[in-house]
Amino acid sequence: MTRSPVFETFRYAAILLALAITLVPIIWMTSMAFKPVSEWQATGADLTWIPKRPTFENFRYLFGQSETTLIVALERTATKPILASLLSAGFGTLIAMGAGTAAAYGLSRFGSGGNLPLALIQLRLFPPMAVMIPVMMMWAFLSLMDTWWGLALIYGIVTLPFAFWLMKTFFDEMPREIEEAALVEGCTRLRVFLKITLPMMRAPLASATLFVFILNWSDYLIALLLTTRQWVTIPVYMSSLASSMTGQLYGAKAALGLIAAVPPVILGIMIQRHLVRGLTFGALKQ
Amino acid sequence: MSAIRLEHLVKRFGSFTALKEMDLTIGDGEFLALLGPSGCGKSTTMNMIAGMEAPSEGRILFGDRDMVGVPMGRRGVGFVFQNYAIFTHMTVRRNLDYGLRMTGRPAVEVRQRAEAMAALLNLTPLLERPAAGLSVNILQRIAIGRSAVMEPAIFLLDEPLSNVDAAFRAVMRTELKALQRQFGQTMVYVTHDQLEAMTMADRIAVMDHGVLQQVGTPLEVYNAPANTFVARFIGSPGMNLLPGRLAETDRGLAVDLGELGISPPLPDALAAAAHGAGRPEVTYGFRPEEVHLVETGPALRLPLILAERIGARTILHLGRAEDAVRAVFQGNPVLPEGVLAIAPDPASLRLFDAVTGAAIRGG
Amino acid sequence: MSVTDTPPAPPPTAASVPADAVRLGHWLTLPAQILILFIAVFPILMQLYISLTDWSPLSGRPWPRAWELWNGFANYADLMSDRRLWSAVGRTALVMIVCVPVQFFLGLGLAMLFVDDFRGKRLFYSILIMPMMVVPAVAGYMFFMLFQSGGPINDIFGTLIGRPVVIAWLSDPTLALVAVMIADIWQWTPLMFLILLAGLVGVPDDQMKAATLLGANAWQRFRTIALPRMKTIIIIALAIRVIENFKIFDTLYIMTSGGPGVATETISVYIYKVTTQDLIWGYVAAIALVILIVLSVVAVLAMRRMAR
Repeated sequence: MTRSPVFETFRYAAILLALAITLVPIIWMTSMAFKPVSEWQATGADLTWIPKRPTFENFRYLFGQSETTLIVALERTATKPILASLLSAGFGTLIAMGAGTAAAYGLSRFGSGGNLPLALIQLRLFPPMAVMIPVMMMWAFLSLMDTWWGLALIYGIVTLPFAFWLMKTFFDEMPREIEEAALVEGCTRLRVFLKITLPMMRAPLASATLFVFILNWSDYLIALLLTTRQWVTIPVYMSSLASSMTGQLYGAKAALGLIAAVPPVILGIMIQRHLVRGLTFGALKQ
Repeated sequence: MSAIRLEHLVKRFGSFTALKEMDLTIGDGEFLALLGPSGCGKSTTMNMIAGMEAPSEGRILFGDRDMVGVPMGRRGVGFVFQNYAIFTHMTVRRNLDYGLRMTGRPAVEVRQRAEAMAALLNLTPLLERPAAGLSVNILQRIAIGRSAVMEPAIFLLDEPLSNVDAAFRAVMRTELKALQRQFGQTMVYVTHDQLEAMTMADRIAVMDHGVLQQVGTPLEVYNAPANTFVARFIGSPGMNLLPGRLAETDRGLAVDLGELGISPPLPDALAAAAHGAGRPEVTYGFRPEEVHLVETGPALRLPLILAERIGARTILHLGRAEDAVRAVFQGNPVLPEGVLAIAPDPASLRLFDAVTGAAIRGG
Repeated sequence: MSVTDTPPAPPPTAASVPADAVRLGHWLTLPAQILILFIAVFPILMQLYISLTDWSPLSGRPWPRAWELWNGFANYADLMSDRRLWSAVGRTALVMIVCVPVQFFLGLGLAMLFVDDFRGKRLFYSILIMPMMVVPAVAGYMFFMLFQSGGPINDIFGTLIGRPVVIAWLSDPTLALVAVMIADIWQWTPLMFLILLAGLVGVPDDQMKAATLLGANAWQRFRTIALPRMKTIIIIALAIRVIENFKIFDTLYIMTSGGPGVATETISVYIYKVTTQDLIWGYVAAIALVILIVLSVVAVLAMRRMAR
């Protein structure tokens, strides 16, 4: 359908405004990440959107290689928090995808675990804050506090609903003729699942995995409660980049924020096609 | 009611030209079928008449009014979609009176006109039923009624029978034709099915590759195809077309068909026209239904490959692929073994220019 | 894209499935069942037990001996009259009531601009959905920086009106709440946009054209064709945002820590503070349990409705 020029003008104007609003916070943080200490808190006429003297100093500072004497040296570098985030989100994703995929297949094909859909919806519905006290007590009891594997376990549970629902919709859509043919050929059902179904579902599995990883990578609250020192994740560590002595370490925080923000944005754009399905629990497919 | 005139209509999509220089006048109250294979430009033509697409060049006139630039909602055009596009989340009544409600007619009028239309289409008992899940002939009636209630000057139908079971199509065709008589509006009907076009239309516009090939009554396009495309496209099976050369024989001008032999001499009028054409290479065409077996004399001699006996008719497949000829006989004729000698009825003979494909008309 | 209004094949019933399949099905669903048991049953029982006591990590007893501090339903009685809790509930509701509709209408408006093709569509789309993928804690920090009184938001306003603006966004009780809402709207409008666009694209084009040909204008087409067909999608989109908004924590806590005072304290922030600062875990367990029960009822009712 052809649209009037007035509409086209309006469309571009509205979209440009939306783009500007979308990008302002991102641009500001990116700019801050490359600003030297002297520009961190510049206000009024000195406030700049593009650093006057761009520098990698903030990144070096995070990894303990800064020569800047203006700010105190970091007690701990960002290396281990980044590792903590990677390990906990990565293994949490493995747990969620493993348990979720298996259960989704069991329900989709054999009707097992009929209680799972409702249970998982409820799990999704609860604010994590409302179950954290017993979780903290259990984690303390099991010596899982302040470990990346303890975090991975809870991440695996929290994102299990997404893994389950996503994979269930994928399995529901998959034609069953090939599986049935393999069964007739004499394969056991487990072999069919492992050797035929899963390889065929490689692409959906990859999308679901990335989706679940983004969710785990984005957590703040759970890590805030379950890690204290050894294995704090990026967002928790980020909050610690301020003290009464140093004040807000704006540039360093922004640099870390950039490091934290880039992977999910890239992954998210990669799996754009499946975002709607993932977010709506498979109720909506694109 | 109004006539439609298309003048030098052109539609390009980027570098692809979907429609080349179309000129066509559709008479007031006429039922015209736009017929052609998929991708021939027939749907593009109709979409431009409806206003869903803007022409790249040319004019579209309803009566004397130039419609280019008039938005699709204001053209007074009724449109029946291929899948009917029934609003399945509404009742039959809400479908029928949709246009009236949207254009702000008074409630009383909305009810009266919708109910009158429902009565006309035998939909009265279904008025309050949800439109989802009704059978396809009822959906067709709703689709037509929904447009007809707006009293459009022009009705456009986009392959409305293509999703219908073959067995049901004949019923739907009859119903559609009856409805058109009832409303008496100008109708443009897009289809790729020649049977639909032949049985329903007053005139047929045959299209191919974005070019209008021929316009005429069903009998005209059948009997006097303007070119080889129309000849082959119309009829089932289509016209037999064989490459040949004009040749003088002692009994008059005939066509030398190479291995198949020399054709029987051409009728005088056609011979005269062929002389005037100036080129000896011609395409020799005749309808499969209009041949007879001959014992002696000039004939086309072809090996019988297959005889399909379809109840009242028998279709003979003769000759190898490159010079395949089909012949249709009534009943189950007794066939000799091996090579058959056939001759086309002189009246059914057609000649086409071998290069341009255009018909060489005699008389 | 389509809404699953016709479920595929109904899940096979026990009778129709061979024994080996049933066995494999049990094994496959077992890990998920254990994880759910682990996160649901034990914690809820523990929560119930603790909530009936005055236990705290500082009470000098391991939690199994919390019964020594038994206080019956006192915690539940307390929470009924806890004004700070109820104001946090009210504030959470307020944020929800403001943010979800704003996100919905902005998202819908944007989605309507993206239905047909135009130059730059894919690029614009990719940029517009970026905020929802930014780690919420990082988004919180972005807005923390933006809303500093010498920060870029005031700078932009100053440029627009031609004289310096010094608004102390995050230390003014009202403005802090506004700032938090702006951050939430920035981050989650893209989600509405994404889902509603998927819904709009799913409205059959022929039906929209048919409505146009019958004389319906753009608004009428939207109201009578697109909207009814998107009903399920709209409900899902709204439900997701309501649920998420109810949990709101990360962005908000990094921006304001619930302050100034308790001006931006939501349910999650309040529970977090009571858990980590006041350490009265018996009381927190009572609050959490009430929330769980209320949400479970809502979930079951919602599932029943959806099933129909």
